[in-house]
Amino acid sequence: MANWIPLWVHKLSSPPNFYRFAGIVRPWALALALISGAIALYGGLVLAPADYQQGDAYRIIFIHVPCAWMGLFIYGLMAVASFISLVWRIKLAEVVAMESAPIGAAFTFITLVTGSLWGKPMWGTWWTWDARLTSELVLLFLYLGVIGLYHSFEDRRQGARAAAFLAIIGIINVPIVHFSVNWWNTLHQGSTVRILGPSKISGDMLWPLLTMMAATKFYYIASLFGRVRTDLLSMESGKEWVKQIAEREGKA
Amino acid sequence: MSHAPLASACAAVLRRDLTLAWRRRGDIVMPVLYALIVITLFPFALGPEDALLQRIAGGAVLVTMLLAMLLALDAMFRSDIEDGSLEQLMLSPQPLALMLGMKILAHWITTALPLIVIAPLLAGMLHLPAAVMPVLVYALLLSTPLLSLMGAVLVALTAGTRRSGMLLALMLLPLCVPVVIFAAGAVAAAQQGLPWLAPIAWLGAALVMALVLAPLACAAALRIALDA
Repeated sequence: MANWIPLWVHKLSSPPNFYRFAGIVRPWALALALISGAIALYGGLVLAPADYQQGDAYRIIFIHVPCAWMGLFIYGLMAVASFISLVWRIKLAEVVAMESAPIGAAFTFITLVTGSLWGKPMWGTWWTWDARLTSELVLLFLYLGVIGLYHSFEDRRQGARAAAFLAIIGIINVPIVHFSVNWWNTLHQGSTVRILGPSKISGDMLWPLLTMMAATKFYYIASLFGRVRTDLLSMESGKEWVKQIAEREGKA
Repeated sequence: MSHAPLASACAAVLRRDLTLAWRRRGDIVMPVLYALIVITLFPFALGPEDALLQRIAGGAVLVTMLLAMLLALDAMFRSDIEDGSLEQLMLSPQPLALMLGMKILAHWITTALPLIVIAPLLAGMLHLPAAVMPVLVYALLLSTPLLSLMGAVLVALTAGTRRSGMLLALMLLPLCVPVVIFAAGAVAAAQQGLPWLAPIAWLGAALVMALVLAPLACAAALRIALDA
């Protein structure tokens, strides 16, 4: 086991180092997100064939499904960061967890909106109390609860710790959302993309979907790093390294 | 120096909380009155049609109970935080989780138990068949302690904040959705003459898990919210 990996991680978790690292990574992640997003949209909206059953309306999945994945993925990541922040009291983990919450809430919101836009022509209704839809709504409430609790404390680090605890409690809902389609056989279709075994989706449709998934991941990194940088500056505003940055920016 | 034995410490906490609640009997009546008023609103809002009321009776009573408990939860630790007795409890040599478990039990006895007692009356007002009443009471007996336990964790988390009432609803709602689904599912199944034991058993399993984990989580949450 190489020694430099834990060392690198250890150094990275100090705010000034992460600030610099995030500043370097962020533009690349944003560029990758835009490029792969454009490719995925072209592939999904132009190249992919129309569905034999749903015609062109199915194309919303190129937005809807990656956003739904991200909603769950970010929740899981937020819970892991929360756990790290509670156990090892790493400042950076707190910031990552708390700045992930609004991004995850936004992805969940987009999932709900695109789902209902698609539901109107396909199912004939904007909303139905289907298991998957309801649990996705509950996921949004969980995010909002975490955000609300974080902001209701006067001391931000105390707020972050309380909200991190709530995020960990709420993780029990994530498997419910994920498996709701399999457990309750309701209106929402089952999953068609498999990690193990062949997917039940045509290759022409699969690659734009996976590309869009990569694009949302890159966007998440870019957005998160931008937010974390701002947050670190305001949290450490009295520290020497922030003063140095302020002076450098002031001269430039 | 020897500490008080665990059992007598538990009994002391329980007795203290029950005595405090008994001294302020008016507060115990409040959730009951609240539930009564909410239930009477349903026939006004939906129309007094018997068949419709009968169909929603189980769910309406459950949601009303949940709301009444939510209002009462907010006060669970407040006076103890204000007069400093909670900090004494945290400093005491007995395990905090156990002491908090006793406090949650006392809170459940003073807020949920009166609600369960009047639940058949409320359900009767919405024409729930008498045969389903026992199932409703079983469901409430298992789901209200669950709500008390989960609510206590969240109340503990918000203990350090000023405005917690609305926030509590936002945080508790996602966690209590499964409880409401299973409790209402049991009542609905009984109403249709189907077997209703499975959802009750699920509630029981969840309650056992919450009994073990929630006091520990509650203690951890209080430490987070208060020590800073």
